[in-house]
Amino acid sequence: MDRFVVSLALIGMVVLGGLVWLETAPFLVVLFAIGIALGVALYHGAFGFTAGWRNLVTKRRGAGMRAQLMLFALTSALMIPLLGSGQPGLVGAVAPIGTSLIVGSFVFGLGMQLGGGCGSGTLFTVGAGNLRMLVTLAFFIIGAVVGSIHLPWWLDLPSLDPVSLIDSVGVPGAIAVQWVGLGLVALWVNRVERRAHGELERSELRLRPVEGSAFKALVQGRWPFVWAILVLAVGNTLTLLVGGAPWGITFAFNLWGAKALQAIGVDMSQFEFWTWDYPAMALADSVLVNITSVMNFGLLLGAMLAAGLANRFNEASRKKVEGRQFLAAVVGGLLLGYGARLGFGCNIGALFSGLASGSLHAWVWFACAFVGSLVGIRLRPWFRLPN
Amino acid sequence: MQAAYRRSRIIAMLLAILVLILADHLSSPTFAFNMGDGHARTSLNQRDANACAPCGAPCPSTRE
Repeated sequence: MDRFVVSLALIGMVVLGGLVWLETAPFLVVLFAIGIALGVALYHGAFGFTAGWRNLVTKRRGAGMRAQLMLFALTSALMIPLLGSGQPGLVGAVAPIGTSLIVGSFVFGLGMQLGGGCGSGTLFTVGAGNLRMLVTLAFFIIGAVVGSIHLPWWLDLPSLDPVSLIDSVGVPGAIAVQWVGLGLVALWVNRVERRAHGELERSELRLRPVEGSAFKALVQGRWPFVWAILVLAVGNTLTLLVGGAPWGITFAFNLWGAKALQAIGVDMSQFEFWTWDYPAMALADSVLVNITSVMNFGLLLGAMLAAGLANRFNEASRKKVEGRQFLAAVVGGLLLGYGARLGFGCNIGALFSGLASGSLHAWVWFACAFVGSLVGIRLRPWFRLPN
Repeated sequence: MQAAYRRSRIIAMLLAILVLILADHLSSPTFAFNMGDGHARTSLNQRDANACAPCGAPCPSTRE
């Protein structure tokens, strides 16, 4: 265990949690704690969407992909009934289906493979001290702000209204549609793996850690996928219940970038996106009352704590970053940010929360981001990134 | 095992983030409200059941 990093992460949690408690509202402290738990789960579970997709394409191994599908299925079963209950104050991640979504998710998928992480992946690896991912995050924020400025233009292009499966086919129907869809994707993943290897790895179904006791794995990692799936599914559901909307990550990146521009004198109200109710309200107020920001702070500290407990903080930065790898982080970050804004979120806000909200746009996002990811995987060797 | 980082850099980075958060917060309506300005329009006192999800999609009422 790295006592210094663990101590620093715990001090950070107490200071920031205390500040949120004193200055805002108790529900935000709860969301901060949920963010911490999600950060620990993402790090200890090594739950990377990007690597899961890449392993399917390059190594023909589907365990990571199936773990994601299990996560989506479980969370759909938890969240769709809540959203369909008509309880006031709960809104799902439902967005329009159009040019903006298609282009945005494709660009995001491409950026994932070049930047080395998705929305959650970028954040938890930065929390774990990965310097290359810090570059990706910085350009993720820049790309997100540029995307927010361009978004109204993209929204004027052809588009369909949001489609909520809960409204269209009811709660049981929405869960059934999501499960059948996810099951079909799982069958395709299995087919790809069986064709290449003759059998399935099935590590996503393991309940016990590969080595050591369950307690040691719980504290120091690595968690079996199932543990991470449970924490992520319950965490997203609690986020919906406590915060009123499902888990998202990238809106905070827009906000941080816009606040930075505002601090140097740029009038953000000249851009339409920043005049809409929610962004304008968030921009005018403290980051400590912005749910996405507070959860991201928690996630960063949770990942830092987990990396400290595993004695692997900053471990990924031991290798020096080459010129082209640095360029990949810059380009990937910009594409991630721009794509996330056009696609109404990242793999968390649009894909995970979108599917769990019974929104059709999440399926379009999934398909287009996967195609973008295929292009990104092809480009990785040029950037000296291993496949 | 030798640490892969310098402690001072990690502390400096975390302190810088804390300073930025505090600077942002101290100039916010929420802080003004907490200091007794009852007219400050904060995110928390404008929060209602019709708030849109923070996915970046425009609220139905915002855009034609």
